[in-house]
Amino acid sequence: MNPTTLLTLHWRDPLTGESRTQTAVYPLTIGRSPDNTIQLNSSFVSSHHLRIEDSDGQAWLQDLGSRNGTRLNGKLVGKTAVLLTTPSHIEIGPYSLHLTQPPGDGRTATLTNLLDPATLAAIRQSYQQPAPALAFSSASDALEATGSSEPAALPPIFQQRVVPLAALNQPYESKTYLSVGGGLGSFAWINHLVVYGAAPDDILTIGFEPKPYGRYQRLCRNSQIPDHERLRSNSDSCPDNLWGWPGYGVREMWGAVKNGRFSHAATIGWQLFNEPYVQTYTPVAGHVFAAIDREAERIGWRQLWRHGRVRAIRQTDDGRYLVAYTHLRDGQPDQHRLVVCRYLHLAVGYPGVRFLPDLQAYRAQSGDFRRVVNAYEAHDHVYDALAQRGGTVLIRGRGIVASRIIQRLHELRTQHGSPIAILHLMRQPLAEGQQFDHAQREVSNHWEFQPFNWPKAAWGGDLRRQLEQASDAERKELLACWGGTTTADRRDWRTMVDDGLREGWYEIRFGAVQGVEAAENGRLSLTLQRDTTLTHQTSLEADFIIDATGLEAGLESNGLLRDLVNQYDLPRNARGGLKVSNAFEVEALRHGEGRVYASGIVTLGGPFAAVDSFLGLQFAALRSVDQLTAVRATGLRRLDGLRSLNQWTRWAIGAKP
Amino acid sequence: MTPTLFGRWQSRFFLLGTVGSLTTLLFAVLFRSLIPFILLAVVLLLGLGWDVVYDRLQKRRWDRDWPPTLQLAAGVAEGVLLAGLLYGARLLPPPTPTQFVLHYTAVWLTTFLASQSLMRLIFPRWRYHGGQWI
Repeated sequence: MNPTTLLTLHWRDPLTGESRTQTAVYPLTIGRSPDNTIQLNSSFVSSHHLRIEDSDGQAWLQDLGSRNGTRLNGKLVGKTAVLLTTPSHIEIGPYSLHLTQPPGDGRTATLTNLLDPATLAAIRQSYQQPAPALAFSSASDALEATGSSEPAALPPIFQQRVVPLAALNQPYESKTYLSVGGGLGSFAWINHLVVYGAAPDDILTIGFEPKPYGRYQRLCRNSQIPDHERLRSNSDSCPDNLWGWPGYGVREMWGAVKNGRFSHAATIGWQLFNEPYVQTYTPVAGHVFAAIDREAERIGWRQLWRHGRVRAIRQTDDGRYLVAYTHLRDGQPDQHRLVVCRYLHLAVGYPGVRFLPDLQAYRAQSGDFRRVVNAYEAHDHVYDALAQRGGTVLIRGRGIVASRIIQRLHELRTQHGSPIAILHLMRQPLAEGQQFDHAQREVSNHWEFQPFNWPKAAWGGDLRRQLEQASDAERKELLACWGGTTTADRRDWRTMVDDGLREGWYEIRFGAVQGVEAAENGRLSLTLQRDTTLTHQTSLEADFIIDATGLEAGLESNGLLRDLVNQYDLPRNARGGLKVSNAFEVEALRHGEGRVYASGIVTLGGPFAAVDSFLGLQFAALRSVDQLTAVRATGLRRLDGLRSLNQWTRWAIGAKP
Repeated sequence: MTPTLFGRWQSRFFLLGTVGSLTTLLFAVLFRSLIPFILLAVVLLLGLGWDVVYDRLQKRRWDRDWPPTLQLAAGVAEGVLLAGLLYGARLLPPPTPTQFVLHYTAVWLTTFLASQSLMRLIFPRWRYHGGQWI
C-alpha cells in the first residue's frame, strides 16, 4: 500500500461563524458536490473545485477549472498543479482554509495504522448527508446546515435491543446515575440528586460544553441577548437554587444595596412587588450564568462532567442501560468508551432549529448564507454591514427574538445613525389575542404580549394541574391555546415599534412567501402569494432576511434520539414529542430496576407546558427525583421540611450539600 | 404567585397557624388580652370565603396569577371588612383602633414575607402546586 498522507484543514464556517477542523487523507477533492472529500456549501464553490494529490511524497494542489478560482497564499492557482507546503492558506469563494500538518508525522503515516477503513468511510459519508434543518454539529456543537457527521459504526452488539454485558469485549465503567446532555437540563437533574443526598461519585454527565449553560449562552448571544441583557425568565426561576429563593430579583436588589445603588434597588423592589402592572422583572443573563457557576462549583460539577458525545443507548441484561460515547479531548474525538448505569436521564436540549422552507430553498439554491440568516445562527456580520452601509432588513416571526433583533437594529440606527429600514413580514394580521375561558391575551400593532412564553399559571398554578390531568389529545389543544408566538411586554420594545411605525423606518407587511431570489440590482427579492397580501404589492426587496420564527426541529434531528425511538419503538405524544409519564419517565424504556427520564423540549406535549424553561427543567428534575426517592434509589432521601431547610442553609452559606 | 383555591386555603391555615400565631402571641402578651387570637381565628374563617372570591377573579386574568399588588389589595379589603364588623356591627369587644391596625398589619406583613420565602424553603413543591403543601 502506498503511504497515505494526512492534512489538517481549519476553516471558519461562513454560515455559523464557528471554526471547523478536519483531518483528511489525501488525495482529496474539495467542492460543492457531495461526492467530494470535503464539501463546501456555497454558490461560489464549483461542484468539483480543486484536488490535492500526492506525488513523490509531496502534496500538490490543482484547480479543477473552477468558475471562481482558487487562491493559494494569495495567488491565483491555474490548472497546473502547484506544490503545497504547510502551513498554507487556500481561499475558495467565501471559505478561507488554513492547512497544517496533523500532529505527529502525518506524511509518513499509513492509512491502516491511523484510520480504519470503516472510520474513513464514515468520515467520507458524513459529508454526503443532506440535513433538513440547522442541527447542532457533533463536532463543534454549532448550528450547522450540513448535519452532524456520524462517527465510526457502533460495535455490532448494539444491534441487539438487550445487550448481554458478559459479551462485551471492551471494558466499561459503572455509575448509578447518568445524565446525557450536560446542559441546563442535566444540571437541574443532578442538582436535585445531589441535594436529595446522592453521592457525586455515583453520578456522571456527558456533554459537549464544560459550562452547563454553554449552548444556551451561545444561542442567546446569536439571537442578540449578550450577557448584560435581560432574559425572558422569572425572578424565581433559578437553575442554581431548587427552592427559588432568594430569586434573582431579590439578589439583584441586595447587590445594588451593597454597592450603594439605592435607587436601582428600589426600582427592582417596586418592579417585583407590582409586576405585571409595571414591567415584569427579568434577570440579567450574566447574573444567571454567574450563579450557575457558583452552584456548579458547590456540587462538584467539574468532577462529574465528562467531555463527550453520546452515540447510543441500549438496555442491558441486568436491568441497566449501556451508553456508548465518544470521549473528546480538546474537542477532538479521543476514544470510544462505554458506561453502564441504573438510572438514565435524557436532556439533549433542542434537536435543532428549523428554517422557513422558502428561505431554506433559497440558501440551498444560491449558497448565499450571508444575506439570509437564521436568528439563532451567528450572524453578527449582518449588523456590522448594516452599521456601515445601512440597508433594509426583512424580519420573519414575531416572537421575543424578533423583538430583540429590532431592538439591536434600533440601537444601530440611533447610535451610528445608520439608515436602516425594517420590513416586518407577517403571515396574517392579528387583531385579537388568544382567548381561554374568561381571559384574553393583549395585542398591539399585530404583536401579542405575554410576560413569558406560557401563561404564568402553567408553571405552578391551576393550568399546570389542568394540563397534567388532561388526556394526550386535550394536552395538544391546551398547548395550542396557551402557547403561540408572543413577545414580552417591555415598555422600550413597545415604544420602539410605535416610533418606528410613526417615523416610517419600521413597516409591517402581510403575506405568505412564494419564493426568494437574488434580484438584478443585487438585493434580495421576495415574491408573495397573490391571494395572501393585503396590498397590491406582491414583491418585497431587502438587503438581508432574518428568520426569527424559531421553529423547533422534530426529535428525529437528533441522531441519538432517532436511534432510541427506532430501536425500542418508543411511543410519541399527540404533539410528536417523546411520551413521558407525569414523573417525566420514558416508561417504555423501564427495564428491571432501571429507569429512564427525559426533560426539555423533547417532552413537549406531555404533562408540562414550559418544559424548556429554567423552571420547567427544575420541575422535571423534581418530579423524576421524587419518583426515584420513592423507589429507594441509591442515596436519595425525601427533601421536605427541616431537611429541606437544612439543605437550603447549606446552599446559602456555600457548604457542600 | 399562582395559587389554586385549595392552595390558598392550605397556605392560609399554615401561615396563620404558625407565623400569624407567633405574631399574635406577641400582641396578646403586649395588650394583655386574648382578643388578638379571636381576631386571628375570624380572619382565618372569613378568609375561606374571601379565597373563593379571589380565585374567581384570578381566573379572569390571562396569566392566572395573583401578584403582590393584588395580595396587598386583598389584605386591605379583608382588613376593612373586619374593621366594619368590629366597630360597626360590634360582634366582639373591639380593641382600640391603633391596636387593631398594628396587629392586623403585623400579621399580614409577616405571613406575606413568610409566603415569599420560608414556605418555599420548607416545602420545595409548594410553588409548583399552587400553594398546596399537603
